[in-house]
Amino acid sequence: MGKSYLLACSNLRKAKGQTVAIVVLMFLAALMLNLWLMLSMDYRQNFDRCHDKLNAEHVTLAVDGDGSEISQFLTDTMEADERTKDYFLDSVMHMVGTFEYNGGEMNSELIFMEKEAALSRPVGKCEIVEDSSHESGVYMPILYKTDDIAVGKTIEITIGNRKMPYTVCGFFNSVMSGSHNCGMCGILLTNDCYRELQEAGCAPKATLCSIRLDDKEESEDYDAMLRDAVSSRYPASRSTSNTYDMVSRSRYISQMICSGIMSAMAFFILLIALVVIASNIINYIQENMKNLGALKAVGYTSRQLVGSLLVQFTGISLTVALIGAGLSYALFPYINVMMISQTGIPYKVRFLPVPFVLTLAVLGGAVSIVVCISSRRIRRVEPIVALRQGIQTHTFKRNHVPLEKTRVPLNLALALKTTLSGIKHNVTICITILVLSLVAVFSGVMIENMIADMTPFLNMIVGETADSAINITAETEEVFCADMEEDGRVEKVYLYNSVQLLHVDGDVLMVTITDDFTKVNNQDVIVEGRFPKYENEMAIAAKYAVEKKLNVGDEIRLTTDGKEDGYIISGFVQITNNLGKDCLLTREGYECLGELQNASYYLNLAEGTDIEAFNTEIKDRYKDKVNATINIDATVESAASVYVMLMKMIVYAVLVLSVLVITFVLYLLVRTIVGNKKQEYGILKALGFTSRQLIWQTALSFMPAVMSSTIVGVTVCSFIINPLAAMFLKDLGIVKCTFRVPLGYNILAGAVMILAAFGISCVLSMRIKKITPRKLLAGE
Amino acid sequence: MKKILLKTENLSKSFSSGGNMQHVLKNIDLELYQGDFTVIMGASGAGKSTLLYALSGMDTPSLGTITFGERVISGMNQDELAVFRRNHCGFVFQQIYLIEGMSVMDNVLSAGLLVGRDRKAIMTKAKELFEAVDIPEETQKKFPTQISGGEAQRAGMVRALINSPEILFADEPTGALNSKTGLDVLDTLTSFNEKGQSIVMVTHDMRSARRGNRILYLRDGVILGECDLGRYVRPEEVRPADGNAARRTLGNAESDDGARQEKLASFLAEMGW
Repeated sequence: MGKSYLLACSNLRKAKGQTVAIVVLMFLAALMLNLWLMLSMDYRQNFDRCHDKLNAEHVTLAVDGDGSEISQFLTDTMEADERTKDYFLDSVMHMVGTFEYNGGEMNSELIFMEKEAALSRPVGKCEIVEDSSHESGVYMPILYKTDDIAVGKTIEITIGNRKMPYTVCGFFNSVMSGSHNCGMCGILLTNDCYRELQEAGCAPKATLCSIRLDDKEESEDYDAMLRDAVSSRYPASRSTSNTYDMVSRSRYISQMICSGIMSAMAFFILLIALVVIASNIINYIQENMKNLGALKAVGYTSRQLVGSLLVQFTGISLTVALIGAGLSYALFPYINVMMISQTGIPYKVRFLPVPFVLTLAVLGGAVSIVVCISSRRIRRVEPIVALRQGIQTHTFKRNHVPLEKTRVPLNLALALKTTLSGIKHNVTICITILVLSLVAVFSGVMIENMIADMTPFLNMIVGETADSAINITAETEEVFCADMEEDGRVEKVYLYNSVQLLHVDGDVLMVTITDDFTKVNNQDVIVEGRFPKYENEMAIAAKYAVEKKLNVGDEIRLTTDGKEDGYIISGFVQITNNLGKDCLLTREGYECLGELQNASYYLNLAEGTDIEAFNTEIKDRYKDKVNATINIDATVESAASVYVMLMKMIVYAVLVLSVLVITFVLYLLVRTIVGNKKQEYGILKALGFTSRQLIWQTALSFMPAVMSSTIVGVTVCSFIINPLAAMFLKDLGIVKCTFRVPLGYNILAGAVMILAAFGISCVLSMRIKKITPRKLLAGE
Repeated sequence: MKKILLKTENLSKSFSSGGNMQHVLKNIDLELYQGDFTVIMGASGAGKSTLLYALSGMDTPSLGTITFGERVISGMNQDELAVFRRNHCGFVFQQIYLIEGMSVMDNVLSAGLLVGRDRKAIMTKAKELFEAVDIPEETQKKFPTQISGGEAQRAGMVRALINSPEILFADEPTGALNSKTGLDVLDTLTSFNEKGQSIVMVTHDMRSARRGNRILYLRDGVILGECDLGRYVRPEEVRPADGNAARRTLGNAESDDGARQEKLASFLAEMGW
């Protein structure tokens, strides 16, 4: 071990540049690997920790009405089910409401709770995370804390048709109702404000039922059972619910995306680092064949020589991994802030030993394996053979690009000779460029579909968007539709209403109902088959269909309000509103089961129409016939801005990382080539080649591999980016991504990569200037 | 009157070593003439190779000027020197320095195509030179590691001559070769000199030095003296006079190889060799 260590130290002294490059690559790989492991192993568990701490429920149901009858019914239903572990019923107010958030409008099912009652709930309690001396006002979920929504400031919440201004007294944390991603959003009011809202009568009383189960995996089934029971007993009653399964996933969408990208980048960089290490070891053996022979001749064993390489590379990697994983803790708080803006659940950064050890183990293990495999040739070195002539570093079996036959210019021909004699370099370049092509295409797709114009992203994630949504009572529909048809500002109006139904022997499904699916804006929501046309047809979420092994043409039975009917699946859709538990029905189809009490209409408004003013006018015109109006543009903007911000940061980070990676890989390769060809460059200079010509030749020699792998990489990645993205987003219910692939950007990105690689190679090859023919002749 | 090809004035070269200045060449004034086979001799460390590198533009002098024809090359930067070398000079090295990754032919063409634009003419010239140095086509396609040292050095000479340089610099061209192969190389150099090729050769080998017509002796960075041996005549050019001894033409005088050797030995002895 001692001798191997000394040899390793000697090798390191001779290869400082190579060491630096491997250090940087390993550092980045360790940093991202540890971040990914922390995000995937612990961050998600934070939900469970918070869930346990607040004794949060596994199923939440808010049913309009708070009489003893409904309480008794719910109690009986829950008691009758053996899965129930604990529950708590509470009187709250429940109404669709909106407020300004993140420059847009937040729209959600709001659950108004009296502050003290909410804090003392035995099941599903809330905790105050920021308080103030203000005695009258509102406590908002911590997720919504922004510059505009801050302690002491006034927030105006539109509840039904009324705007209620409240002073923000503080912020609270609630696992199951602390975000718009929960399906319902809790708001705590001080006692006076709560009573004031009750008196205002704009938010009906409701019963909030929080249930803990023995097995949280049962949450979806339990929710289905409970909702079915409630809708059967109280068909006219408005209710909303959520489950542990749905909330835990929906609050961690950004964590999932971020950790997915982080893991991909970590493994890509690790792959590049391993290729670089393998390439370096092979070069080292070739260049030092005589030295290795000499060492064997004086008694070093192959094991000791391989050991020295193991000590060298694994030692460096583990040391750097230690630093990289350690420094990831400096970066984690910033990522945490980004994540909290989507999860809304506070997370305390702390040392996590398991991800740390795993990071070291993965990197150390991978490097050790690569070192052992790459250094196998050392075992075959025979001291006498190596000492006498060295083992040929090149097998000149073929004269690539013979100058007497080729027509290409001399410098290009010499560059091609270098290219064709360095297959290992080409492989390294190809792998690096292929990875970077994927990064470039991914960035382009994200810029095109999220950052520059998020419509494609919204179409895929949200499903359907329009300018405004108006929820009206069923009896007003006819008049409303006639008015809208005549209104010059309205380009299109169509029913787009969501209700929940139970799939018999399945889960609760979010059903979107419309009169005619050819009218909806987003026709791409169908990924297989077609929209339902007839009353006995339905389209169902592809993810759910896969889970339940359903095919187009199959019949499934839906039930609500005690009625049940069968529907033939006409197609698969991807809507993520309910994380892939969605389906589409025609209105006639839905009416086989029940009547709509209220109906939501989507409106496309003419360009330049003030959506907010339009909605206000509708509210004023129809008064209490309008339950809610939503400025969809603003709502989507506020909700999506978090994702856009996150994606911007990811795109910038991966682009910077890509430049770093390609620079270091090229640095290593140029260094190796210049080192290997030092004598050749000296000879060529002596013959009259200028430094510029040799720099040009060296940079050009990388170009065939760079250009071919860029073209192949960008082309292939352009085709696979959507399936890959679908793989990452499958938890959201996405089975087929329909992101626009920006051809122009991809071509530009490919060209920039090629030019950048050439430029970087030229700059790095400047060290050729230092080679002088005199040094060659003087034997230096 | 011989035409001056290359001229130095106060040529000096110093190296810094461990904080000490080492003056390798000291104020050398020298003229090299067209068509001459100039041999630079001297003991190890005398500055022979340093003088050769400076004259050939491989290295820049610390002081003084070097003029090639009408052009002062001593003030040129590295790239200008490279262009100068490719257009005016040819080089034959002791270590041969063929590029291992290229075939023998490609080694030659890489130099030829650097200067010439007419690919066909360069190919023809290369073939002629290969024929002149007796390297068959089969060998031209081989890589340097696949041929003998003599073949490699002759290929090196073809590379040096492919651009018809005005001056050929040879640094110990036989130093790495055995006796027979070295002789072949010297014969080749002689034959090119006979055709008018100016040659400057560094050697410490008397047998090689006898091929030159002008011997410069260098000691401690100074040209201590020079000797005019007259043009070398090959044994096959000897005209038998008395049937006992081979007589050769030596400039205006006639002498045998023994006399030539004697003159050189005497000169070298005088120089303290």
